[in-house]
Formats: sequence, C-alpha cells, structure tokens
Amino acid sequence: MTLPSERMLPRLFLVLLLAVLALAGWQWRDGTPLSANLMELVPGTAPDALELRAEQRMQEPLNREMLVLVGHKDRQQAIAMAQKLGEQWQASGVFEKVQWNLQADLPALRTQLLQGRLAMLSAADRQQLIEHPDAFIQQRVQALFDPFTGFSLVPSQDDWLGLTGRIQNSQPQRGSVQLDIGSGVLVADADGKSWVMLRARTVGNAFDMNLPLQVADLLQHSREEAAQADVQLLAASGLLYAASGQRQAAREITWVGGGATMGILLLLLLAFRRWRVVLAFVPVLVGMLFGAVACVALFGQMHVMTLVLGSSLIGVAVDYPLHYLSKSWSLKPWHSWPALRLTLPGLTLSLITSCIGYLALAWTPFPALTQIAVFSAAGLLGAYLSAVCLLPALLKGAQLRPAQWPMRIAESLLALRESLLKYVRTPVLLALLIAFCVGGLLQLQTKNDIRQWIGAPQQLTDEAQTIARITGYQPTSQFFLVRAVNQQELLERQTALSERLDQLVNLEKLQGYLSLNQLVSPPSEQRKVRDALGKLPQFWQPLLELGVPADALQAELVKLQALPTEDIDAALAGPLAEPYRTLWLGPTDNGVAAMVSLQGLNNPALLRVQALDLPGVQLVDRLGDLNKVFAATQISAAELKLASCVLIVLVLILPFGLGGALRIVSLPLLAALCSLASLGWLGQPLTLFSLFGLLLVTAISVDYAILMREQIGGAAASLLGTMLAAATTWLSFGLLAVSSTPAVSNFGLSVSLGLAYSFILAPWAGRQVHTAPVAEPAA
Amino acid sequence: MLGFSSLAQAFDLQQLSDQLAKPDVIHGNFIQEKHLRALPQPLTSKGTFVLAKNHGLLWLLKTPLQQDYRISDKGIARRDASGWQMLPNKSAGAEQNRLFLAVLQGDSSGLQRDFELSLSGDAQNWKLTLTPRSMLLKQVFNQINIDGGELVHNIELLETQGDRTLLRMQDSTSAQPLSDAEQHDFAE
Repeated sequence: MTLPSERMLPRLFLVLLLAVLALAGWQWRDGTPLSANLMELVPGTAPDALELRAEQRMQEPLNREMLVLVGHKDRQQAIAMAQKLGEQWQASGVFEKVQWNLQADLPALRTQLLQGRLAMLSAADRQQLIEHPDAFIQQRVQALFDPFTGFSLVPSQDDWLGLTGRIQNSQPQRGSVQLDIGSGVLVADADGKSWVMLRARTVGNAFDMNLPLQVADLLQHSREEAAQADVQLLAASGLLYAASGQRQAAREITWVGGGATMGILLLLLLAFRRWRVVLAFVPVLVGMLFGAVACVALFGQMHVMTLVLGSSLIGVAVDYPLHYLSKSWSLKPWHSWPALRLTLPGLTLSLITSCIGYLALAWTPFPALTQIAVFSAAGLLGAYLSAVCLLPALLKGAQLRPAQWPMRIAESLLALRESLLKYVRTPVLLALLIAFCVGGLLQLQTKNDIRQWIGAPQQLTDEAQTIARITGYQPTSQFFLVRAVNQQELLERQTALSERLDQLVNLEKLQGYLSLNQLVSPPSEQRKVRDALGKLPQFWQPLLELGVPADALQAELVKLQALPTEDIDAALAGPLAEPYRTLWLGPTDNGVAAMVSLQGLNNPALLRVQALDLPGVQLVDRLGDLNKVFAATQISAAELKLASCVLIVLVLILPFGLGGALRIVSLPLLAALCSLASLGWLGQPLTLFSLFGLLLVTAISVDYAILMREQIGGAAASLLGTMLAAATTWLSFGLLAVSSTPAVSNFGLSVSLGLAYSFILAPWAGRQVHTAPVAEPAA
Repeated sequence: MLGFSSLAQAFDLQQLSDQLAKPDVIHGNFIQEKHLRALPQPLTSKGTFVLAKNHGLLWLLKTPLQQDYRISDKGIARRDASGWQMLPNKSAGAEQNRLFLAVLQGDSSGLQRDFELSLSGDAQNWKLTLTPRSMLLKQVFNQINIDGGELVHNIELLETQGDRTLLRMQDSTSAQPLSDAEQHDFAE
C-alpha cells in the first residue's frame, strides 16, 4: 500500500519543518518582528532623497507628539489639572518631554530681537521704513503714547525706533491660543470652557509596537482621573491612531482567524465524522509558519495588515488535504497514500496556479501586496508540502466514513443544474449572464483613497477636529519644498511664494503658512534697510520733540548700522525661531533647501497651481500623489491579471490541451466579471483592493474548474470536493468583509463574490477525456 | 495684635471689590505719564475715559495726539477713519488689557490669580499693592500700585526694565449715564 518513498517523505519533511522552526525562533529572538507603520505599506512616490528627508521631517511630530486640551469652565481648575497630568506624564517614562507651560526665556528673546532688528523686520515694515520714513516715525510716536500696546520686551531706550515691537507683532499669529500670563500656560476659550494646552513628545515613535498602546493607556487613565474632577480631555496624535489600528488588527485577526478556524473545523467534523480529520489543520499551521518565516526573512519584519489579510490563507491551505479527503465518498475503502497518489497531479497544478495568482500581486507597486504575496505563496508551499509529505502518514489507517448529507447536496445541485439546462440551454444562459454583467458594469464606480487603509474610529477624528476648531491649529499634510543655489535666492523664492499664499489667505482658501522668509529677510533686503536708516535723521524731528535726546538717537543709528547681516542659521538660533527650525533643510547637493508648512487648507488643487511657474518651488502632496498611484495601479493590476491568466493557460495546456486550458481559465475570468457587475448592482465602489481580490480569485478558483474537469470519482464527488474547498475558502475570506478597515473589507467582499460565482460556474468546465497519466487508477 | 487684625478686617479686599463694582458708569479725565529711564521728562498724554459695567472701557486720548481706544471682553479696538478696528489678539497684550480692566473694576478675584495683593487704608483712602506671582510676570513687572477712595485715583506700573507708567484719573464721576454716542461706541 505504501511505497518506500512514502516512508521517507514524512521524515524528510520533519527535518525541513524543524529547520524552519529553528529559523523562526532565531527571527523572533528579539521580540515580535511586527510593524504597524502604515507608510511602509504604500508605494514610495518620492524618489528624491531630499523630498524624502523633508517628508520625514514633517511627519516626525505626527508620530511622536501628542496634543491634549484640558478643559474646564473654570480656568484655574483646568490649569491645575494640566499641571497635575503634565507632572504625572513626565514621571511615566513614556515621554521625553512634557510641556504644560511656557518657560519663556525673556532675556534670550530680548537679545534675539535686538540682534535681528535689521534681518527680522517684516516686508511691510521694511517697505514703510524705506518708502515712507515720515509715517514710520509718526507710528513710533503714537506707539510711545499708546497704553495698550502690550508689554514691550525691550525697553524704549534700547530701541528708540521700536523695531523689536514691529518684529514681534509681524510674527504670524499661530491659532487662537493665548498665553495665560499668570501661569504661563497656553489657553483657548471655546464652548464655555477654558482649554489648556498640554504637549508631550514620546521617547520613541508611533511605529514602536508597544509605545502607542502605552500612550493610549496612559491617556485613558488620565481621562478617567480628569473626569472625576469634571475636567474634559481632548487628544490628538498619530500615536493614538497607531494604537487603535493595532488593537483593531489584533481584534480582527482573532475574529477572522478564529472564526475561519472554528467554521472549518466544524465543517470537517460534520462531513467526515472522525476526530482524526482535525489533523487536516496541520497544513494550515505549517502554512502560517512558512509564510511568516519567509516574510520576516525577506522584509525584516511583518506588517500587521499582512497578518490580517494573510489569516484568510487558512481557508485556502485547508483545500489541499480536502482534495484527497473528499475522495472518501467515492473511494471505498479510503486509504491515505493511494488517495494522495490519485489526486497529486491536481494538487500540484492547484499549487502552481494559486502561486501564480498570488505572486502576480507581488508585481504591483504596493509593498503591502508584495508582503501578502510572499506570505501567501510561501504559506501555500508549506501547506502543500505538509499535505503531501506528512499528513498521509498521520492519517494512515484512518477509516473515513463520511456523512452522506454533503453528497446528497452535491447530487441534488447537479440534478438542479441538469433540469435547468433542459429548459434553458447554455448559450442562452451565457447571454443572460453577459447582459447581467453589462448592466452591472455600467453602474460600477471606482473610488480610490488612501483613507481606505485606515479604519480610524469616529471618536478619534472627531476629537482631532474639535481640537483644530478650538486651537486654530490645522496642520495639513501638504507642504512646499523650495530649493535654491544659495540662501539669498532661497529667501527670494520663498518671498515670491509668500505673495501668492498671502492672496490665498486673504481669499480664505488657506488659513496660514509658515516660511523662513517670515523670520529673516534676504541679505540684499537687509542691506536696503541699513541704507534707509542712514536717511532717517531727516525725519525724526517728532521724536526729538517728545524729548528723546538727539545723541541717543544718533547712537542707536550707529549701533543698528553696525549689526551684521544675519543668515538663516543665525536667525534660527534664538527662541523666537522655535516653530521655524523644522523648516530648514540646510545645505544640499545643489545648494540649499527649506520647506513652507501650511495651515487649514481646503483646496489642494489651488496650491498646485501656485507652484507651477515659480522656479525651485514644488508642492509635496503625498496623499494626492498616492491617490494618483492608486488609480494608475488599477490599470496595471488589470494587466497583471491578464498576464497571470496567460501563464496559467500555459501551465494547463500540458494536462488539458489548449481548448481545455482556455475553458478552465475562462470560467474564473467570467466569475470575476460577474463579481464586478455585482459590485455595480450593489452600489459598492470598485477600489484597488476589490481588484486585487479578483486577481486572487482567478488563481484560487482555477482550482475548482480543474477539480470539476478532472472528475475523479464522478461528477457528484468532484462537485462535493469543489463545494468543500469553496466553503472553507469562502469562510475565511468572507470574514474579512466584516473588517472595519475599508480596504480589507473591500478585499473580502470581492473575493467572496468571486468565489461564489466560481463555484456556480465550475460545472461548465467540461469533462476531461483522460488519456494517460492522470487516468483514474483502479481504486 | 487683636486690634491690628480687627483693623485689617475693617476694610478688606471683598469690600474694595464691592465698592469699585458699584457704579454702572464712570466718566473722568486721565493724565498718563510714561517715565522712561532714558528721558529726563515723562511722556505725558491727556484725555477722557468712560468705564461702563458690562461694556468695557473707552479711552479717548486727546493730547498731544488724538486716538480713541476701546477695551472689552472681545479685545482691544482702535478707531481710524473708517471706524473701530479690532487689533490682532496678541496673546501678551490681550492679557495685559484683561488686567487693566480688572484693576479699574476692582475685580480682585481676577487679580489674585496672578498677583499677591496687599491692601491698606480705609474705604475713603486705600492703597493696593500688586506683586506678580508667576516667573513670567516677574520678568515684566516689579509691582503695580493702585490707590483711591470711592473710585480709583492712581495706577502706577513699575516695569522690570526701569520704565514706569503713572495713570492719574481725575474728576471721576458716577453720576452721568452713558450718552448715545458712547452707547453707540460700545455697541459697534
């Protein structure tokens, strides 16, 4: 019964399995090699190293910082709670820096303002000084009498012309938060409450696996504590999204993986009525192991999304043992090794076609899909090897006496089909099907957006929006990258850009922006200011009339004209420059570069237009670019699908001939078309992920057509095998459809639909007239 | 000891607050002297003011130049040819103006948050000294002195940098209601 080779195989396989296990142990030696970084999953659209550096710089705060508003109707209570929480967080060890009040270094600020009186003067003030020196002096006189100008950081006798005050007032207003002068906190009043700002910066970033959860837990604890004092907390941070994403992934892996496992085991037990049949799950476990090991070996780590989507592999891997287990209905008595021998060619074909389908995903520009492809292909190989080498040995001597109900279902389905075909012939059915497809396709809408990757809970996005409304901070992901040969040119280019952005701000298309030229003017402008100061004595009579000593003014002029021309690095050194520092990229290969950050944008297309004819200015819009890549990938995915079909046809020509191969492949293609049409009829959008799902369906369901065409053990037994295989696969992919991540759920829906159609269409695969090798040996 | 504390209780912050919060509208003249460390003579300006409960303050500078200001909950506004213009809500400036209103209206609870208050004298002749509590305020003010009787008479701001501002409110009266023009100014 058992060939000598079949005695060796299990031992060889066990050696391989041990080796893979050892490798896995080594890979996991430093903890879980898992990643939750969403950006690792999307295609890199920035080939430029500088652009990449700029992007990382802009994203860093999102992934490391948390902004919390502490709100109470009494300002003092809000401040007290902010202080208490701030101290607790600082002590927690999770944060590198927690800031609840400004420790303003006024002497340093004074020094910076005095030193920068030429360099930091705003464009409007420079213009007035140069073109209307009389008005400039008049305003200064007025300011000296004005009791409400606020604190002057620099005493009048150190700055008779009031340049430091002008610099302070021309700095862009940042949101609607105000300094509470008594406590030093930043506070905003809204909705009848005072909201105190608390900022925290973590030691690691959002992609350390444990950190986001720690931060989320700490925040939850603080929320509860604050609630007892009737204080409300609002929080926004990329860390919170990461934490929620991780929790969601864990939940979904449990649901999809656990649900599929339970369902499949139940199905196996109900159909085969033997506890030993649970061993059919061994290939699934081995498959998961192989998949994970291959993934970590190739990519260094595995993404949680790969795990979620990969957990659907359970349903595909279990099909291999089902291939020969289902022969127990027709082979009596059933013995494991002969049943395997009988189905081995079909099994092998199934492995090859499925791998072709999965690996086709690897050629899309999506790292996410490359990972899933590698995980799945390696997983299938592992499942196949264990199904072929190990499982028959484990099942040796098992007496399978399967239940009759699945057979009866299969038979009655076939009977139903026969009677249907009596009334309506196949060509008519085909015509109806095509009409259905055309009708559905006409209603199909495509939709692609990076946001489909994120199943962000409503509460998080609501809170972030509330914070943006209260504080006026509305950071946008788009920014401008400005390049130039030197600092002079850079600041000039930024000035040109600023003029356009100011117009957008005036039109309320943009809330604000931050650019280095708001902090420091180009060297040429600084020289002009110095020259203009030389003419000022002709105009300063009104100051002398107030009693300002002439020699004091003269001495100040000398001091001002002696101020050195400031470059960007010098301007960035002082405390006033804090918000600007991230914008400066410094020297590059071809000169210098800096960014311009934006606030409260409502029309990205308008921005793109601004940069069109400005040399050296480029809008970096990662989200927009990604969405474009999504659309472009849709086309290449369709091409890949066709290419994979051609490849599968080539593989199948050998056993089935050209006609048979074409027929087998056309069925899954038709099924894919039907699924597309169904999406249209259901009003569901076609996304990149549904397309990827269909790509996969072709590969998996070719298997059903092969099973039906081979008809080992009769039509009913073959349909039964197909039915079981489809049911298990459908169980695992169908569960993906309930995922709260739109991308995953789209994928699950389209695969489920595709599988259903493939099963319905499979009997049309025809019947292979067996010639030599695949012939049915005597049972 | 007993005598001293009962004397202190004779006129306390609460009573001062109540006293200053009583009038609905106060009209008066002011003289502002800015003593800059480097100037031998103070910068002196004169004008009139209107302080109205629930509305805010109109500060009408007459000499040596003419300029109208309005301070209210909404912020500070300056009048130009085309009407009242709200000034940008610069954080520090807005806070200072909140303080200014609190001083004039005797809102001691608002002041106690940021300053140590010490009160001496009686209802007809009192003196209130404000010493900043926070590091930030200490870097700006050394002390604020306020004195008065039924109403506020003088406010003196001593800045850390050595400048000093003295506001003298004279001929204050609470007998006169808001004129139509003043009501219009507050409403606009």
